[in-house]
Amino acid sequence: MSRFGTLPRRLIHLVIILFGITLVTFFLLRLIPGDPALAILGSSYTHQRATAIDASLGLNKPIWTQYGLFMGHLFHGNLGYSYFYSESATTVISQHLAPTVFLVIYSAVLAAVISLPLGFISGVRRGGIVDQSTRVFFTISFAMPAFWLGIILLLVFSVHLNVFPLSGFGAGIAGHLYYLFLPALTIALGFSTVLIRSLRAATISTLQAEFVDTARMKGIAYSKVLRRHVFRVAVLAVVAVYGVNLAYLISGTVLVENVFSLPGLGQLLVNSVSNRDYPVVQAVALLFAVMIVLINLLTDITQASLDPRVGQEIGE
Amino acid sequence: MLRAHGLRTLSLGLIAITLSAVGCSSSSSGPSSGSGPAAGSSTLVIANAVRVDTLDPEANSVNESIWMDQNLYSRLLQPNATGTALVPDLATSWNVAPDGLTYTFHLRDAKFSNGSPLTASDVVFSIDRSRKYSGGWGFLLTAVKSITAPNAHTVVFTLSEKHAPLLADLAMYAYSIVPQKLVTAQGKAFFQHPVGSGPFSVTSYKPDSEIDLARNPNFYGTKPKIAKVKYMIVPDDNTRVLMLESKKADIIENPPGNLTSQIDKTPGLHVNLFPSTRVDFIQMDEHFAPFKKQLVREAVNYAINRQAIVKLAYQGDAVPGASFMPYHMEFYDNSISPYPYDPAKAKKLLAQAGYPHGFKAFMITVSGDVAGQAEAVVVKSELAQVGINLSIQSYELLTAYSKEDGGHSEFGERYWTNDIIDPDEVATFGADCKGGANAFNSYWCSTQATKLVGEARSELNNSARQNLYNQIQQIIYSQSPFIVTDYSPYRYGVGSWVKGFHVTPLGNYDLSLENLTVAQH
Repeated sequence: MSRFGTLPRRLIHLVIILFGITLVTFFLLRLIPGDPALAILGSSYTHQRATAIDASLGLNKPIWTQYGLFMGHLFHGNLGYSYFYSESATTVISQHLAPTVFLVIYSAVLAAVISLPLGFISGVRRGGIVDQSTRVFFTISFAMPAFWLGIILLLVFSVHLNVFPLSGFGAGIAGHLYYLFLPALTIALGFSTVLIRSLRAATISTLQAEFVDTARMKGIAYSKVLRRHVFRVAVLAVVAVYGVNLAYLISGTVLVENVFSLPGLGQLLVNSVSNRDYPVVQAVALLFAVMIVLINLLTDITQASLDPRVGQEIGE
Repeated sequence: MLRAHGLRTLSLGLIAITLSAVGCSSSSSGPSSGSGPAAGSSTLVIANAVRVDTLDPEANSVNESIWMDQNLYSRLLQPNATGTALVPDLATSWNVAPDGLTYTFHLRDAKFSNGSPLTASDVVFSIDRSRKYSGGWGFLLTAVKSITAPNAHTVVFTLSEKHAPLLADLAMYAYSIVPQKLVTAQGKAFFQHPVGSGPFSVTSYKPDSEIDLARNPNFYGTKPKIAKVKYMIVPDDNTRVLMLESKKADIIENPPGNLTSQIDKTPGLHVNLFPSTRVDFIQMDEHFAPFKKQLVREAVNYAINRQAIVKLAYQGDAVPGASFMPYHMEFYDNSISPYPYDPAKAKKLLAQAGYPHGFKAFMITVSGDVAGQAEAVVVKSELAQVGINLSIQSYELLTAYSKEDGGHSEFGERYWTNDIIDPDEVATFGADCKGGANAFNSYWCSTQATKLVGEARSELNNSARQNLYNQIQQIIYSQSPFIVTDYSPYRYGVGSWVKGFHVTPLGNYDLSLENLTVAQH
């Protein structure tokens, strides 16, 4: 159990982080000029009409009372009621959750599929043709902003070659895999660069380790040494990078969802901020925080289970 | 009505270059062979930029949702295609009592899409419901004392004072007719799968991605020629253009200005412009000392080159602004012409006002609003010529609005759109000190204009009303509390295989969908 000794402490962190997030999002949101009434009324805004809306939304109460109410509801699992969707924030989020979660997992898998072989080969055959071409290709794709890369992929694959749909989420697992391929690829291409570079570096340094020489001297086949000894050690270094970037990836879906017209959490968040839909913004921010903390936790657990050294100094 | 600007315009500049580059290379290799709607299909695909906020007419605030709703519900009356008169919808005729305080509407035999009859009590219920909705449009109907249904085909409005815009108010989307029984029984849930009496009804409702409509077999009027309408929500401007180019959409709303010429060059595609009620203007907040002086405000009016704004911000597709009322709408004063561009005169006026060397000021713009940013650059360079040193401050939409509304602004880019064809709404917001909007938040106040707005509201004789509205427009023009820059149109990208698409100045196109055809493509 000692390898997972940090787990209880991390769970306590989770609670503290979530409390902090409620404070920050609640008060920051209300510091931004403009309010829901303005969003609803637009150019036909008058003070009188705004007051009526504020009263109906409970925004005329003192801010601390509002925060108290929000926290009170939160402890009962109630995230509030969206001003714009006329539904509870939980319902609104559950309607937008699937595309984003699917997209994040899909692009994470795609990124792994792309980068593990390429990164490893680049490290083993340093300076070879795979190494050189991978470096050039992924440096360029990394430098392209997601909205740009997305449009280019759409232009090539959806408009000219007409093999992928232009927008939407599709139906059923197969439909999602088909519809989300281009958006997932857009994210995965950017994500892969980091993974390839770190796997390549880890492979190179592992190749120079003494245990590799030992293994080879014992007469084990080179391919087996690479597989059993080098790859397994090198990939450990990538797990941490993978976890950290996966957390970033969640926030990166916003732009991609926009380009590919995916009704996901990213779009929901942007629209809700623009509309000052406070309950939804708070709920999405909380959800993102939970997801990021959980991913970090999973990364640590994965590392601990792959590497007996992780966590021992704290656990014992 | 609110139009949301957002992230979607962020990447326009960059993308335009690539699109046109790749677009050119492809057009030589043959037309794109889209696998859009099947040949001869009678489905119309419209790509909108903004998600549907609700299908509940009392709570609608997003333009695109409002325009879609009008295909689902009927009202007592509706605006005609040019937005200059009212034509029957559910009411086939109406009488106004000589004292102007009683309106009687006679309803046609109509049914909801589920086959149940639409009666006068549905009308009373719907209008009462909408006018009592907090923050809604009840303020338009404050003169209405009671609405009654003496029989199934008659609705009577009793007023406490004369109210000339009543018919126009009732033609507004908020006063759409919904079935009393179902709404009472289901509450808000009704609007997830609403039942109306318009030409179409909803078959599938995913407000963030796709809404499907089908021809309503129980519609009282001529049945639409197309069987289905599919609305796709595509927030990214460039993706919408790609959908049109690959024929996966038949109509796209609001193609970005920098791509309109590219769309027009593509065989079979056009950007259609429809006159709107939009009035673009620049606010001059009188809390800022120089703007208290009429001479300064006039000077700014002379210093602005409207032709340059139209050309650079709207690619020549707008009309230079004159009166503050929407262009060529009811009671628009044709005799007013735009302020001429005359920097020398502007300098002279500034000197007379005590600012011979001009002054420093800021102007609030909305970030992501491409046309607005272009306009700001033009205005900055023109004001610099008369000594006004302008700094441009860009904010996110609601932040900008809240600064402009709150009396903490100096210059601010704003616009107005009508919700009714009657000018009472724009006059109340733009010229009436007691209207609640402080004359488009300029905090300018004219007791004369305020009095005239009230008189025009209760004047039932059209030529007398025209006279009153002309006076109001003249006052605004001469005292220039804000700078009317231009009237910009609605922009739609339309495939040539679509025949008969027309948008009224209020933005609705439900009448055109009744006759529109989609040819093989």
